[in-house]
Amino acid sequence: MGNILSVGQSGLLAAQLGVTTTGHNIANAATPGYSRQVVIQTSAGGQSSGDGFVGQGTTVASIQRIYDAYTATRVNAAQTSKASLDAYSTQVSQINNLLADSTTGLSPTLSNFFNNVQGLAAAPNGSAQRQTLLSAGESLAARFQSIDSQLAQIGEGVNAQIVSNVGSINAYGQQIAKLNDAIEKASSGSGGAPPNDLLDQRDQIVSELSKLVKVTVDNQAGSGYNVSIGNGQPIVVGTTTFNLSIATSQTDASKLVVAYQSGSTLLNLPDSSISGGTLGGLLDFRANSLDPARNELGRVAVGLAASFNEQSKLGVDQNGKAGKDFFSVAGPLVTPNKLNNPANPVISATIASSADAAALTASDYSVGYDGTNYTITRLSDNVKAYQGAFPPTVGPVDGITFSVGTGTMAANSSFLVRPTISAAGSIAVKLTDTSDIAAAAPVVLASTATNGGNAKISAGSVDASFLTTPPTLPLTLKFSNGKFDTVPASLATPITYVSGTNVTLGGVSFNVTGAPLEGDTFTIKSNTTGVATGDSRNAVALGALQTKSLLVSVGGKASTTLAGAFGLMVNNVGNKTREVVANAASEGKLVDSVLAIQQSQSGVNLDEEASNLLRYQQAYQAAGKIMQTASTLFDVLLSLGR
Amino acid sequence: MRISTAAFYDNASTRISDLQSNVAQKQTQIASGKRILTPADDPVAAAAALTVSQAIDVNTQFAANRDTAKSALSLQESILGNYTTLLQNVKTLTIAAGNGALDDSQRQYMASELAGRYQELMGIANSRDSTGNYIFGGFQNTTAPFTDVSGTTATYNGDQGQRQLQVSTSRQLPINDTGSAIFQNIKSGDGSVSVTPDIGNSATGAGAISAATVTDATLLTHHNYSIDFTTSTATLPVTSFQVFDLSKDPGKASPLAASANYTTNPQTIAFDGLQFTASGAPASGNKYNINPNAQSIFKTIGDLITSLNTPATGVTGKASLAASLSAANNNVTAALDTALTVRAAGGARLQELDTLDNEGDNRSLQYASTLSNLQDLDYAKAVSELTQNQLTLQAAQQSFVKIANLSLFNYIN
Repeated sequence: MGNILSVGQSGLLAAQLGVTTTGHNIANAATPGYSRQVVIQTSAGGQSSGDGFVGQGTTVASIQRIYDAYTATRVNAAQTSKASLDAYSTQVSQINNLLADSTTGLSPTLSNFFNNVQGLAAAPNGSAQRQTLLSAGESLAARFQSIDSQLAQIGEGVNAQIVSNVGSINAYGQQIAKLNDAIEKASSGSGGAPPNDLLDQRDQIVSELSKLVKVTVDNQAGSGYNVSIGNGQPIVVGTTTFNLSIATSQTDASKLVVAYQSGSTLLNLPDSSISGGTLGGLLDFRANSLDPARNELGRVAVGLAASFNEQSKLGVDQNGKAGKDFFSVAGPLVTPNKLNNPANPVISATIASSADAAALTASDYSVGYDGTNYTITRLSDNVKAYQGAFPPTVGPVDGITFSVGTGTMAANSSFLVRPTISAAGSIAVKLTDTSDIAAAAPVVLASTATNGGNAKISAGSVDASFLTTPPTLPLTLKFSNGKFDTVPASLATPITYVSGTNVTLGGVSFNVTGAPLEGDTFTIKSNTTGVATGDSRNAVALGALQTKSLLVSVGGKASTTLAGAFGLMVNNVGNKTREVVANAASEGKLVDSVLAIQQSQSGVNLDEEASNLLRYQQAYQAAGKIMQTASTLFDVLLSLGR
Repeated sequence: MRISTAAFYDNASTRISDLQSNVAQKQTQIASGKRILTPADDPVAAAAALTVSQAIDVNTQFAANRDTAKSALSLQESILGNYTTLLQNVKTLTIAAGNGALDDSQRQYMASELAGRYQELMGIANSRDSTGNYIFGGFQNTTAPFTDVSGTTATYNGDQGQRQLQVSTSRQLPINDTGSAIFQNIKSGDGSVSVTPDIGNSATGAGAISAATVTDATLLTHHNYSIDFTTSTATLPVTSFQVFDLSKDPGKASPLAASANYTTNPQTIAFDGLQFTASGAPASGNKYNINPNAQSIFKTIGDLITSLNTPATGVTGKASLAASLSAANNNVTAALDTALTVRAAGGARLQELDTLDNEGDNRSLQYASTLSNLQDLDYAKAVSELTQNQLTLQAAQQSFVKIANLSLFNYIN
């Protein structure tokens, strides 16, 4: 009789646990990381009796969570790369939106500037035109600076996010360590029964952590989860944590990087070793979109300043003085590695001319010294651009001339050279006086009044060799026997006269048209003595820079205009944004599908729980009925004695 | 497959939010009329649109430059039109002054009328444009190009600079002609020539050629000549000379006369109505260039005034008046020729500008259509897509609400 009661009681208890567990499931239906729990019920076995084995009811073997470690690993991996792409796309979209409006970008200001140069060509002594050109130059410089400072602000934002991400990673590490401890204690205190909710919590934290950075989890029996990042730097081992910290980059003080405390030294982890998660996405974005965008913008600024300054210097200003630099722009930035010997000689890098500026790439360079040789590496594709001993100067390598100061370089020193990073932020109009704008050419060409022939000499233009090896002016050209020669000092090879053909002499290019007569002379005089206020030859040449190929687009040859190079930058950013957004979307689909698999196993379905609730409710009622029956049976026995 | 309740809600909200962002994107496209909202929407077209926009700006600027060039050339043309009329008046006066019935005082009236013309000419030559710059000074456009010298001639202060403007991608057009080309350097009609030792003459030569005298005005050619001396290398060197007519024979193929020896010092050299005296010892290879004098129109009119004011007494006086009237007539005709040549060149430039304008207008249309193809929205397509997206969103919302209401718990009571 007691047997019946205890069978009923075991059913009652099991049903009660079933209802409780179902209720727990229902209550946690929306809890992130919760795995549904099921009551594992087994038969309590039978007791041998003369009639055979009589069942003893049921027992609850355990309450388990439905959890598949393999699926969880897949979910974490998918979420790591999704989070990385999301972070990247959020950041790069900022640049994308910054460049979105074609009416406020660089292009309209650039066009406006050159329109004003053309305006000056039409009225070279108009003080209004000169003033407008200076103002247009200033607003162009301001535009460069504003885009650059917005990019710099995005960089600041990345720094701030790196700090907060590293903080979160450390906090999660500590929570995992604590949970490792709690799980160990709970599970040993309960005779090996799994502490399901603690396990869920720990797995949920690992999942959150893998959204921040790619982690490797090693489940050690007896000590719990060991978590490591990067190239195997552990952040949790059992109940011990190792914190990550933040340091400034060894080569760029404006950049924060992740550092790892190893023993007593703080090691900067290379950005490339940290992949995945928000942190990996941020570092990836900074290296592959933000820095290149700033470099590329800087390259346009350098191209503009170098060519415009060079052409300005080929002219003369309103006071008859040789032209000066129109723009000022910062040169390449060279930073020695913080670990270098402070007594090292200085490495310097310069962009010497507009021809060099035309060869610039948007990449940064590293200069390393191994004790015998210097190696210059282009960082965008890791190509060794130069390897060998350093004479005092090397180059130009991709338009940059490197030189090393006097002194002994310590072996294993390294330098980071960023040719154009500071250019866009620093470009400014150097001229302050409108009369300093060099609209005129430095030479005046004329045919002599007493010439017999009707030949005319063109207005002429000068090139760079006019400044480096200036001709002795005034220069007289004399026509004789179908050839031009200079007098009194004659040329090695007199120039054969062909009407309209361009001739270059001492950096001065001109042509003569018509029919000169024997003995006719032409003079090339310096324009610096008399102020030719109506001379706009140099302004016309300056205006022509707008449509001239001044920068490299592909193949190492100057093949694109300034506006074209800016367009290239827009194109690069647009492409990258498109790519990252598309990848994030497809990675999102992957996350959805593995999450669906995980949820189909571990998630709570309320309809299922409702039916379980009914099932356990009825089991409880039925077990109660058994006990009631047992009681009735007792009553039968007890009534026997009445 | 089991569906977890939480996943069902998550999925539904993600899908609905995706659909909403699609609708918002389409709506923004329709509101802005642009297909490309950010470079990421179409990176290639976004970059191409920047290039085309620059091309449009450049094209517009060239059109502005052409307007500037047109107004400068038109102004110059109208001033040269006045100049031509003035020259024709002067010519009429010159011919009228040749009337033998006039007496000295009547010629003096004409001279004073010419003096008025001279002042008018000075005004024309020193014309300014709308910004106050002198038109005919070349690059020296802030100083008056011509300064009057006591009403008889003028000096030129300008240079030979021609200002160019970029009027199309491949064309720089001169927008001014200089005073030296228009008012000066007009070949003199009186037969006077200048003799200049060649600039390449060896300094050892001590030769000299005198100024020319006109021996027979009817023989004058107004050509350019060169007198070349050579000394033989024989033991007893003999110096000889040749005269070339450079206008007919610039390559010096055949001398005017056979080589003549330079034997006496001084020696007379005569050809084509001109006579020179060679003296000293010219070195071998030394050359002397004989060019007709160039004269400015100011001097022509100044000289004319002087000769009209000079009483023509006697046979010599009358002959001298006739000679100077004839020279003045020649000079004015030459000046008219020069003016017409310059005006023709200016007219050709104006015509070229019109052609370039048409080309620029075509180009601007073409650029506008390229830009529109690159970045403008196909409204019909966009609106139909918007409707489609809206419909999907609506269906998703409605079905979500319906399905979410299905729960077993509704039936447990």
